[in-house]
Amino acid sequence: MADLRTLHDAILEGNAKQAAALTQEALAEGLAPLDIIQQAMVPAMDEVGRRFECEEYFVPELLLSARAMKAALEPVRPLLVASGIQPAGRVVIGTVKGDLHDIGKNLVAALLEGGGFEVIDLGADVPAQKFVEAVQSSGAGIVALSALLTVTMPSMKSTIEALDHAGVRSRVKVIVGGAPVTQQFADQIGADGYSENATAAVALARRLSQPA
Amino acid sequence: MSAPTSQLYAQRLNRYVTAGRNAKPDRVPLRPFAAEFTANVSGHTVQQITHDYNQAFDSVITCCRQFDWDAVVPNMVYVWTGLTQSAGLRYYAIPGIDVGPEVGFQYREPEQDNAWMRREEYDELIDDPVAFLYNTWLPRVSAECAASPYRRSLAMVKSTWAMANYFSAFGPQIERMKNECGTVSSISGMLKAPLDVLADKFRGYLGLAFDLMEVPDKVEAACKALMPHLGFIALSGLDPGRNIPIPIWMHRGCVPFVSHDHFNRLYWPTLKPIVEAIWARGNQTLFYAEGKWDAHLDAFAELPAGSIIYHIDRGDAELTARKLGSKFCLSGGVPNAMLAFGTPEEVRQRCKFLIDTCGQGGGFIMDASAIMQNDARVENVRAMTEFTREYGVYSTTPSDAAPPPPPEGRPPAPTWREGRVPAGACLAWEQRLKEIPAIPGDPALCRQVWENVDALAYFYIWHLVLSF
Repeated sequence: MADLRTLHDAILEGNAKQAAALTQEALAEGLAPLDIIQQAMVPAMDEVGRRFECEEYFVPELLLSARAMKAALEPVRPLLVASGIQPAGRVVIGTVKGDLHDIGKNLVAALLEGGGFEVIDLGADVPAQKFVEAVQSSGAGIVALSALLTVTMPSMKSTIEALDHAGVRSRVKVIVGGAPVTQQFADQIGADGYSENATAAVALARRLSQPA
Repeated sequence: MSAPTSQLYAQRLNRYVTAGRNAKPDRVPLRPFAAEFTANVSGHTVQQITHDYNQAFDSVITCCRQFDWDAVVPNMVYVWTGLTQSAGLRYYAIPGIDVGPEVGFQYREPEQDNAWMRREEYDELIDDPVAFLYNTWLPRVSAECAASPYRRSLAMVKSTWAMANYFSAFGPQIERMKNECGTVSSISGMLKAPLDVLADKFRGYLGLAFDLMEVPDKVEAACKALMPHLGFIALSGLDPGRNIPIPIWMHRGCVPFVSHDHFNRLYWPTLKPIVEAIWARGNQTLFYAEGKWDAHLDAFAELPAGSIIYHIDRGDAELTARKLGSKFCLSGGVPNAMLAFGTPEEVRQRCKFLIDTCGQGGGFIMDASAIMQNDARVENVRAMTEFTREYGVYSTTPSDAAPPPPPEGRPPAPTWREGRVPAGACLAWEQRLKEIPAIPGDPALCRQVWENVDALAYFYIWHLVLSF
């Protein structure tokens, strides 16, 4: 019989092959996809986040677990879609115009996926208009903006303004992050949320995805 | 140099070095790492100063004239993109070509599955790092080298001459700063940690992160293989006067990019001996600790007193002062976001906090947290400068005496194991001897000239890795 505890541990330990195999096994035995996610995968990624916060885990461990989570989710995704189950939320993410740095953005994207979000990754050096178009076409509820340089932080502001001008600002929550970004800056530019690190970004996205 | 300028230079040198030795000069010296900010002051575009180093040099001189700074970098926009373009380096985004003319140059992180070095190439790197660089790394990072034999030859010739011209231009620029402005050149040489080189230029951070978890022994062996070469390059670029520190640009070696265990097992053991060897010669290392390195302050505190200057970026200034302040000079700490988006009053308050926290009794150098780009507001940089001059005063009498030398009785340099091919050469003389007939003339002369010229190829490739 499929062992969800072992699947949980495989994700926690970053064993992608084992995580994928155990998920297949569980599905083959008839376990509901949502049960597998809620009983094994989400708790595993929550534990990864907890360990990161208390410095038992570091970014390499996060990456390993996110990869395992992605592998485990792969066979489950089509079943979720087929049965009409919605993801935890839909996020458009990108590094803002002028900034080519994407390590932090990629990490946040990976952990959001691991957290059950559907992620539309626009890459780096993304013009404001591209964010607008992605929101319009995807119906995403969250826009996540990244910047590593103080020089490019103003592009976060202009992206929010572009969302406003396009009439979609009220439909989305905008979250911002990146090494030089602060809560104060997020407040100044009218963002809805700021996160200091990738695991906190997932918690923030979850919070903002809850119906008010 | 006119008498007032020479006196000004002597005073600034004394002030800068005295503070660097964690002693008390007449006042807190200013040593801003002014990069693209210099374009703001001189009226150039970022593209102009990045792509034409003479305009960059002129912009630095303009800043030296306008601000009463004690020491500056001769050109902190150090990556001359004329060279990177001629070498065809893929990992650079050039202002005015790859990004807008008002955005600074940026490194491109390689794709995880398509990095500048593959995971299966660790053994090649470990066996002979220099051969690996020429055989495998350069053709991969250089679009020109990959294009055709002709384009490869052109790229090699052009980028070699470009590097020689560029480096040769620093001497006259340093003299200009000294003679025209009385300003001290603030750093000399180039050092990076083995793990940072692996992350920045070979595997990419993501590739390295997975390697740390999945093939840690290879990473460790690679760091050990790189250490003699990075040590050699560092020791070759030290200030012979032993006044000016050699900077180390620290990127990925800290928590949470790596774990405490990775730091203790890989990062620090392959960096610390180089720092100790530098100090054995009487030269200080400027730890340009980008990001937050608070988790590692205890490790840095193990170094001999005075051996480093520790630069604060986003670390906790109070904690740093408590852990390191009694042994080392501290510098930096004015957030770049504050210089870009804050007010002069906020900057003054921050400078006061830093001087009160880190500068009691000397041993503090004022600077931004990270290199100052073109978003730093001139009025904020002026506030940092003027407030420090007014508030950071220890005595009213500047000294134009020779700066204090490093202390005697420093610990001897540690030794490290050389690789199969020792650092300093590409093709060793012994190998060359096997390929040529018996030498009827003076073999010592042949060897000396061979090794001197061979060393140029060695410096070329390592500076391509470290400086560009």
